[in-house]
Amino acid sequence: MRLAAAQTAALARRSVVGTLRTPQALFPSLFFPLVLMAIFTGSFGSAPGTIPGFPPVRGFLDFALAGAVLQGILIGGTTAGAAFALDIEGGFFDRLVASPVARGAILLGRLAGGVALAMFQTLLFLAIGIAFGARVEGGVAGVALLLVLACLLAVAVSGLGIVLALRTGSAEAVQGTFPLFFALLFFSSAFFPRETMTGWFKVVADLNPISYLVEAMRDQIVVGVEPGPTLIGLGVVIGLAALAVTGCALAFRRRLAAAP
Amino acid sequence: MDHAVEAEGLEREFKGGIRAVDGVDLAVSRGEVYGFLGPNGAGKSTTVRMLATLLRPTGGRARVAGRDVVAEAAAVRRSIGVALQDAAIDPYMTGRELLHLQAVLHGFGRAVGRRRAVELLERVDLEGAADRRVGTYSGGMRRRLDLALALVHEPEVLFLDEPTTGLDPISRLTLWEEVRRLNADSGTTVFLTTQYLEEADQLAARVGIIDGGRIVAEGSPAELKAQVGDPTLELALERPEEEVRAAEVLRRFGELQPSRDGHVVARLPGGASALPAVVRALDEAAVVVTGLDLELPSLDDVFVAKTGRRLEAEGDDPTHSPAAAAT
Repeated sequence: MRLAAAQTAALARRSVVGTLRTPQALFPSLFFPLVLMAIFTGSFGSAPGTIPGFPPVRGFLDFALAGAVLQGILIGGTTAGAAFALDIEGGFFDRLVASPVARGAILLGRLAGGVALAMFQTLLFLAIGIAFGARVEGGVAGVALLLVLACLLAVAVSGLGIVLALRTGSAEAVQGTFPLFFALLFFSSAFFPRETMTGWFKVVADLNPISYLVEAMRDQIVVGVEPGPTLIGLGVVIGLAALAVTGCALAFRRRLAAAP
Repeated sequence: MDHAVEAEGLEREFKGGIRAVDGVDLAVSRGEVYGFLGPNGAGKSTTVRMLATLLRPTGGRARVAGRDVVAEAAAVRRSIGVALQDAAIDPYMTGRELLHLQAVLHGFGRAVGRRRAVELLERVDLEGAADRRVGTYSGGMRRRLDLALALVHEPEVLFLDEPTTGLDPISRLTLWEEVRRLNADSGTTVFLTTQYLEEADQLAARVGIIDGGRIVAEGSPAELKAQVGDPTLELALERPEEEVRAAEVLRRFGELQPSRDGHVVARLPGGASALPAVVRALDEAAVVVTGLDLELPSLDDVFVAKTGRRLEAEGDDPTHSPAAAAT
């Protein structure tokens, strides 16, 4: 067990180092959410109080922060999957498989790398938000819950990327899922509350699990720690993460057995 | 436990019924350097992937370091070092970081990992580049790092899949030297695949020629060449009018072959040991010779004899002409 933990840690360290050394991979997951947050905040700066359906918030920045965190993790998550696919393409995966490393460490190492990146992003975005005047109503507990939600989401998104990597063995295929994540994001309550939506858009947002996740995150910032939305968000993200990890394990076993 | 690598009727069929490996038998002794020679798509890599536990056989069985590659895959992985085609190396890490990582993956502690990294970097002559990212390495440096990575745990059996494909001649020689030294110093069994005749000839004590997923010939390079036929002797004459006389002399030693003007060519079953007698006979016949060339058959000739095709395509890397393997 100790050995497997050391192997997982070493592989996680490699995925973090690899991400940090490829700024072109890291950049989109930091840049786009921050730009979008700045645009929304600039456009609607004082609007929340006047638009019907908006929760009572001090400013749009408080409202937009959770959406930015979520967006960053969705984009960053594809990085883990793409990196895993590059390992398969380049043969590093074969080197791992031909070594006596614990099989689980190969997956967990990459997932842990994704989680570490998500923690870094979340803390960075919160720090930037706070520097520009946002306030986390939930305090330390709120931040901690935000981090937990963010990390679990990172497991789900990275896991999905890894499943695709294992099934296709192609980094391009994994990166091809990028628009899907964007669709999930925009057809959710990540940027506007569901109360302001109408018609089919609201139906989609109601069905989109991302909505419940972002609302749980946002609650920590704009309202404070509330059991209801937090538990729903946790439930949704734990479900997604469990699905992704199971998918990873199955796809991994399948790849090792079939080994094309 | 007699053999480092043994296989019986090893098969791998891919989807669509393509048999990449079709009944391969192997018996590689401990400490041997075995060369697996064949063109692209002959089944070399597929065989190595099965032996290295990366691919499950669809038929037959194989044991590496005394363990079954399917039932005891984990034990096999502890005993083997693997350097696969295309030097599978992460470009964003430094050579030293990758060696540390590999040591942890093999269950060594940090201190041992550091020491092994220093030893191996020195061994493959990469100390100067140890802390540079691998992305900046040349092809030859990558292969040497790849080899070092495969050696972190001092494996009993080392698999090298086309270790010098695409390398320049100097890098190739360096890598050959390293493989020889490794085999001589540590007695590591080396299972090497190559599409280069010269490489098999230079490194391997025994060569298996694979084509269409089957081994079509096996033996030491000398044995294989002997199967193909005799060496040929070519004389260059100072005076073309002596051609007939020279031919009469050579006929006594072996069958005459067609030749250019001013030259006489004959098979020489006795090889180099028959040369003194040939020279004496030419001298007695007063034939003046300006050149005397003994050509040994190459592994390429073996390949042609066994498969009816040449191994190395026209226009291939000129440093790998079959001639380099001869004489």
